[in-house]
Amino acid sequence: MKKKHWFIWLLLPALFFTVGCKDDNGDPDPVWQATPYDFEIPIGFPTRLNIPDDNPLTVEGVELGRYLFYDGRMSGRTHPDSLMSCASCHRQERAFDLGADHPYYTDPDGRPWGLTGIKTPHATLPLFNLVWNHEGYLWNGMIHKGNTNLGSVAYNIPALPEYHMKNIESLVWMGIAAPHEMHGHPDRTVALFQTITDPDYPKLFERAFGTPEITYERMSKAVAQFIRTIVSSNSTAHKAWRGEANFTDMERMGWMLFMTEEGADCFHCHGGDGSPLMTTHLFYNNAKDTCFTGVCANPRDRYAVTGNERDRGAFKATSLINIEHQGPYMHDGRFATLDDVIQFYNSGLKYSEYAHPLMHKLFPPYYNGMSLNPIQLQQLKAFLLSLTDNELLTNPKYSNPRPDNPFFISW
Amino acid sequence: MKKRLLFQVLLPLVAVLLVFAGCKDDNGDPEAPAGKLVFNFHHTVDGAAVTFDSAGYVNEAGNVYEVNEIQYFISDVTLHRTDGGKVVLDKENDIYYIDTDIPATKRWQVFDAIPEGSYTSITFTFGISEQKNKSFMFVNPPEVNMVWPEFLGGGYHYLKLNGKFEEEIGGTVYLRPFNYHMGIGQIYDPPTTTHPDSIVGFAQNYFEVELPNSGFTIAKDQTVEIDVIMQVEEWFKNPNIWDHHYWGNFTMQNQAAMQAMKENGEHVFIVGEIK
Repeated sequence: MKKKHWFIWLLLPALFFTVGCKDDNGDPDPVWQATPYDFEIPIGFPTRLNIPDDNPLTVEGVELGRYLFYDGRMSGRTHPDSLMSCASCHRQERAFDLGADHPYYTDPDGRPWGLTGIKTPHATLPLFNLVWNHEGYLWNGMIHKGNTNLGSVAYNIPALPEYHMKNIESLVWMGIAAPHEMHGHPDRTVALFQTITDPDYPKLFERAFGTPEITYERMSKAVAQFIRTIVSSNSTAHKAWRGEANFTDMERMGWMLFMTEEGADCFHCHGGDGSPLMTTHLFYNNAKDTCFTGVCANPRDRYAVTGNERDRGAFKATSLINIEHQGPYMHDGRFATLDDVIQFYNSGLKYSEYAHPLMHKLFPPYYNGMSLNPIQLQQLKAFLLSLTDNELLTNPKYSNPRPDNPFFISW
Repeated sequence: MKKRLLFQVLLPLVAVLLVFAGCKDDNGDPEAPAGKLVFNFHHTVDGAAVTFDSAGYVNEAGNVYEVNEIQYFISDVTLHRTDGGKVVLDKENDIYYIDTDIPATKRWQVFDAIPEGSYTSITFTFGISEQKNKSFMFVNPPEVNMVWPEFLGGGYHYLKLNGKFEEEIGGTVYLRPFNYHMGIGQIYDPPTTTHPDSIVGFAQNYFEVELPNSGFTIAKDQTVEIDVIMQVEEWFKNPNIWDHHYWGNFTMQNQAAMQAMKENGEHVFIVGEIK
């Protein structure tokens, strides 16, 4: 009996320790608790993640988000011809980008059209490694933490808090409502999902959020959680940098060109072995055009966000991981193939006073680009192809969870 | 009775004491009288704050130029005391990043407690010393965007000064980019090549800066703010007159250029107001 007493007293300090150091926010212990998602940061990748405080990753939230990502009824419609999911334009086999070979939505000019046939004003962007983007989403970074706008008159979306323009969550209502995407309305989508019995969404929502209630805010949070878990870090190049694989001679020479000013000098905007996201996530005018004001002004360039003259014609530098699958290329999809892109940077740069200063090969001794010889161009392309992460393209945890269900679509 | 006293009074007391001890922040000797230091970084051309993205500045070589962005590291900032002692600011940031595109970086609220007393001068390393400039030590932006290629010596850029200068070609004036970048230099053999496989050695281009007129006195609980000014024109002026037409658009694989930058850099920084 006395020995039991001793145990109690020995445990007491430890108990006090635990209680004493705990943050006391006054909340009672919750009855429901989702399972924290174990997000693994690949070696060398940034440790700072863009995860909002009000939407932490949970196993159940990510699972629900994966269902919603592939469910064609996100369009708010059920007819087979009117289904559209996030995966319709963000295909896993194309690194969650459209892909120049899309069977349905790609037009010869590189810009896809939406569900109702309206052409998008821009090319799509891939959905991987977005948890590390702190510089704003979309081609001009319009969706960012400092954006206080709510809703959209043009899209008939009221100025309510859930219709913010701050993060990946915002992209869900924009995708549903934009005429050139799903051309629907979040209210309509929510109403439809409240009637669905397969899968058992009330059960999935309850597991993710504690109650079976289906709301737009919850849908957007779940989709955003799933997207934040999509990580691409296992290309040949990444493995080589980690010592798990070797470059071929061609790839290695291309890597040198990529990383040197005297070579191709891609790394200042797109990172490299010490910056493995292969993008700075920043915005550059990359000398594609000569006219950026007046009738040439693009209402969706970086200038539209900052109002800074230097940002005219500037767009986000995309990640070069999986670049071979990201076509059509550039913000307007003007280049169909990776070869077209390489040729542009080699000899197709166009002078303007708005070109970013890092586009320094506009002038002699270079002439409108990198001026690489044919062998160097092959080497550079070999390195770019080594950035393909085949594991991302086939990873089951990012795939369609219900291919047996005709409402779940991935194109 | 003694055992009861031990179990019911003393042990819980010890437990409570342990709780407080376990949760306490360890920030050094809280009793030593100390103040706080703030550095405000400014960037000027010819005595006036830089107007970015606007051509019209003229350097010593007669080049008309504009400045678009400046990004750089300073490190191992050291305060020198009148008694010969030193205080190295290394408790939180022994390497500090400044970016003209990120306003928050232009005000450095130093974490270190600064012992009260008088200081004669401030010195720092422009860039990062060989000992500390190691690849992969930064993984988060914005610092990670300063990466210097492994092939070319690794580590990080000390400086990116990006701008444009006017060049007349065929009667038309163009704005030609320049990337005035500093980091570890390379020695090539033969010297006429710049292929990374021809590198036979590296050159460290970081340098020490002693801020002129940087003495100050700090009292207990006082915050001293010091304006540190980068005079951009000095990068192109003293002792080497920098002609953009001669040095061209970029510098990372040109050790002669970076040596000239290093020599000019020693005169770039001055102190403004100390308050």
